[in-house]
Amino acid sequence: MRAAIDTGGTFSDCVYLDAGELRVLKAFSTPADPARAVLSALRQVAPSIRVDLRHGTTLGTNAMLERRGARVAFVTTAGFEDTIAIGRQARSVLYDWFAPAQECLVPRELRFGVPERVSAEGENLRSPTEAELGTLVDAVRSSQAEAVAVSLLFSFANPVTERRIAEVLAALDIPVSLSSRILPEFREYERASTTVVNAYLAPRMQSYLLHLEDRVSAEHYQGRVDVMQSSGGIVSARLAAQEPVRTVLSGPAGGVMGAMRVAGLAGFERVIGLDMGGTSTDVFLSDAAQGGVRRTRESLVAGIPVSVPMLQIHTAGAGGGSLARFDRGGMLRVGPESAGADPGPICFGRGILPTVTDANLVLGRLDPSSFLGGSVSVDRDRAEAGLREHKGPLATHQEFAAGILRVVETEMDKAIRVISVEQGHDPRDFALVAFGGGGPLHACSLARSLRIPTVLVPMMPGALSALGILLADVVRDYARTVMLSGEAIHNLAEDFGDLEQQGRREFADEGLDGMAAHTVDLRYRGQGYELNVPWSAADPGHSIDAFHHLHRQRYGFADPGKPIQVVSLRLRMTALAEPWEPKRRDARPGDGSVARCGERNIFFDGQLLSSSVYRRDQLMAGDVIEGPALITEYTSATLLSPGCRATVDPFLNLVIAVRPAP
Amino acid sequence: MTQSAPDPVELAIFRSAVHSIAEEMGAALRRTALSPNIKERRDYSCAVFDDQARVIAMGDHMPVHLGSMPMSVEAAVRALALGPGDIAVLNDPYAGGTHLPDITMVLPVFLPGGTSPGFYVSNRAHHADVGGAFAGSMGPAREIFQEGLRIPPVRIVRSGAVDREMMNLLLLNVRTPEEREGDLAAQIGACRVGERRILDLVEKYGGPQMLALIEGLLDYSERLVRAELRRMPAGSFAAEDALDDDGVSDMPCRICVRLRIDPEAGSLHVDFTGSSPQVQGSINAVRAITLSACFYVLRCLLERDAPATAGILRPLTLVTPPGSIVDAQPPAPVAGGNVETSQRIVDTLMRALAQAAPDRVPAASSGTMSNLTIGGMDPLTGELFTYYETTAGGMGARPTLDGISGVHTHMTNSLNTPVEALEYAYPLRVRRYGYRSESGGSGRFRGGNGLVREIELLAPAQVTLLADRRRFRPWGLEGGGEGSPGRATVMDAATGRVAELPGKCSRYLHAGDVLRIETPGGGGWGL
Repeated sequence: MRAAIDTGGTFSDCVYLDAGELRVLKAFSTPADPARAVLSALRQVAPSIRVDLRHGTTLGTNAMLERRGARVAFVTTAGFEDTIAIGRQARSVLYDWFAPAQECLVPRELRFGVPERVSAEGENLRSPTEAELGTLVDAVRSSQAEAVAVSLLFSFANPVTERRIAEVLAALDIPVSLSSRILPEFREYERASTTVVNAYLAPRMQSYLLHLEDRVSAEHYQGRVDVMQSSGGIVSARLAAQEPVRTVLSGPAGGVMGAMRVAGLAGFERVIGLDMGGTSTDVFLSDAAQGGVRRTRESLVAGIPVSVPMLQIHTAGAGGGSLARFDRGGMLRVGPESAGADPGPICFGRGILPTVTDANLVLGRLDPSSFLGGSVSVDRDRAEAGLREHKGPLATHQEFAAGILRVVETEMDKAIRVISVEQGHDPRDFALVAFGGGGPLHACSLARSLRIPTVLVPMMPGALSALGILLADVVRDYARTVMLSGEAIHNLAEDFGDLEQQGRREFADEGLDGMAAHTVDLRYRGQGYELNVPWSAADPGHSIDAFHHLHRQRYGFADPGKPIQVVSLRLRMTALAEPWEPKRRDARPGDGSVARCGERNIFFDGQLLSSSVYRRDQLMAGDVIEGPALITEYTSATLLSPGCRATVDPFLNLVIAVRPAP
Repeated sequence: MTQSAPDPVELAIFRSAVHSIAEEMGAALRRTALSPNIKERRDYSCAVFDDQARVIAMGDHMPVHLGSMPMSVEAAVRALALGPGDIAVLNDPYAGGTHLPDITMVLPVFLPGGTSPGFYVSNRAHHADVGGAFAGSMGPAREIFQEGLRIPPVRIVRSGAVDREMMNLLLLNVRTPEEREGDLAAQIGACRVGERRILDLVEKYGGPQMLALIEGLLDYSERLVRAELRRMPAGSFAAEDALDDDGVSDMPCRICVRLRIDPEAGSLHVDFTGSSPQVQGSINAVRAITLSACFYVLRCLLERDAPATAGILRPLTLVTPPGSIVDAQPPAPVAGGNVETSQRIVDTLMRALAQAAPDRVPAASSGTMSNLTIGGMDPLTGELFTYYETTAGGMGARPTLDGISGVHTHMTNSLNTPVEALEYAYPLRVRRYGYRSESGGSGRFRGGNGLVREIELLAPAQVTLLADRRRFRPWGLEGGGEGSPGRATVMDAATGRVAELPGKCSRYLHAGDVLRIETPGGGGWGL
């Protein structure tokens, strides 16, 4: 049996296929030892049968956020020891004389220089002597480092010295991460930072994943463990343990892949995702024709640059718990400060400052009786009193609440613009896929302001991440910076051959047969950023045409006369997941009256409208509901604005036709 | 202030919308420009102006451009009757610019049915070369004519089409025309992104409501600044600081300031009377830069995400004696005024402000951008190259915190060029890049350390340095020590001898010579 478990939140979600039918089990997470929840869930769903487990873990994310990684020694070219701390020498906040220093994961006493140098052309100008290597080993040993990151200048162009250093450091018996293996690409700071993060996570992730795999194998008949990577592909636990930096945003990547899969099955190829949680909102854009969600190599994880490919997820500091206040100039501000879990929103009984959740509640947009299945008591009177107290110059507490929602939706609107308009995409060509606790509550209003015609609220919104992990392909990315002139595009077969050999070998070790996809990063000579385009041995010149085309599309101009540089080669090996078609229900016309459970007054644009309330779990395929209405479920609620119409599709997704704003 | 302030909710939404226009222009410019200085180091700014050329939104880009971009828009409007589809270009410091490498574009946005512009969008980018006597156009000139091509406000785009003749004129006068053309094309593209987004916004709001919101936003900024000034003590606070020299003579260049704070009115009067007369060397600042420095200091008193609009300057009255180093007149050279003198003006303002608000002001930061330009011919390609870089120093200690080491402060925030990007692009090899230990000033809180950077030339080249804080070190506060002064040396390849370089100089060096730059540390705070 194949099962996927995401240990992201309060609950560990386990999703598995039982005779083609998708099933979900929710169990309380065990943050101190996440494996306990995982193993106990597996015992329940698959007692004594073989299980292949696919895992989304937040262990890496949490270690980064809480700064609880390993003591890492950083080894680099002598004279450049401090570069890991200097970074790009810019400050992160422009106008704040009291901003704290950016924290570096490697303290000064753990930075070591090796006398060596490789030129830009890959020529080895100087190698360390055996005596110098011996000195290094002694120094690292006495530093009591728990892991080592090695990142030498131009090591991607000539990795000989990095490999030699790994050989001598093997004597210390601690994990060693090499930049020429983790990220063989130019720009030394970002490469070094990525390698350091890898080393920082290595000891903990190795022991966790290898232990988990041992137990799964022992309890479930040689079952194996695979892990979700931040890029949206699955990788074996063994490789994930060696390269934990690739799984640092494992859980969120699962959510993105799940949303994309569900949208694709429902017939939506181009989607903008909206995942609104308690403290922040994640947005992403996916166009199936262009390979799904774009990957970025410019991520920050807990403030530290990480340059391995990750799904491009943009985060806005606005969520259900975001605090509202008037600043000294009298302007209403919402977030990024959040009430968090403690004290939480006013309506949960302890908070004293108004939050987005309080605003939603007093405007009638949350149904207290169904909120988290009624397990959390929600105090509407308390929220109203709190809003009244803090309403500032506004006439009523409802006006204040409506203002809070408009401001927070502006933040989300802005976030969506960053990933769509700023990248040359028109939101009108996309469907908005809304999930997370707050996504479906704000989706109709956002879609309207962005002129997005359709909103999709996926089935199983609570287990979307685990679903994405279950259905993900096995993917591994390889890359190498070459920095060649444009004409070299015709002579890349050999370089690609080397990468492909490595990829095929690693896939074969896992018993997999992968497909190879070749791409190249190109730029006009002199540019500082590259565009990634496909490359094929049969017609390599096509890459150049594709580059000009993409450049024009994205930046508004192209110049076929300008010289081009081939910056990096990229190879993606993919082994497709087994196909899966969810059960398709017969749709029959209905109005959802069976699921209707009440009527409540909800504010829309300053007007109080009587709206029907429905239970989502009782809706059936083919039901059509007209707004204004509220469709509640365990972890969320979907708000249908007047004029919007929701149809329950054969997979039980809500597909909402959004009426444009007047 | 207007009588009826707009709704605080509408204001918040509008503020966010116009700010995102400036950010979108910046994203477009960064992604499409060719030169590393713009793409990698992000030395540019984008802003949105109303019909009266008042800035209503500015991206979080380069602080030195804050107060000076409105003057570019004013100059373009004054000089040209800009029509639909036109874009003006300019760099003349005496007609809306700051120093010649900073090229500004201004696009008037015509609203449907409008006969005069309803808005302006503008962007400014630091170009790696604009001609003149020194590769990189940042050398020790004596007249502005040696500093490069001067562009008064002219049209670079007419009715939507690039004016090829004008473009050819510009490109013929610079060392790296291909790169310049790419960067200029990116600036034009960014203007058009801004125009498109403004038209969207106007469609959403309609003219009258938008006008009310603009006034509301400017009033809001003004209120924020006045609220801070009301928390300060009444009084007059004077300070002075100096630049080491102008690169021509040894005479120090004084900057004197007197602040008069009126907490009742929430106003600030700033008077630079007493500052040195303008000098022969290239460190003169035009008034736009002095205004930018004031803008920056006021902006830093506000919350970190307060919008930078023209309203911030309303509580300010500024006196700059014409013909002085803080209000230079033609034909004084000005290349360093933007990068060096601007920092010293900020230092002087902060020194005075520290007397009024000792718990809110840090000690002096490195106070120089240590501008380095290397130009020559690349032996591999046979093409001319120009490399420009600023190297960060130590931040001054704060009343509650140590200063940060090796970080850009105050009027600049450009990124470094990665060593590997640099070595791919130029015949140079970096030998060392690290902290300069013990260079931060002592004190209860220590100043940040400066940096050390060593570059070996792989081909003969002209090396030009424009740096300061050799003689007058970054000062401490409340008894904190001074930061170490800056320093630069060259090791001659043939003899192995090491020679000191003055702060402002230009030298022809040989292949194999090694240039070493040590940047100043920040001042300390407290005993």
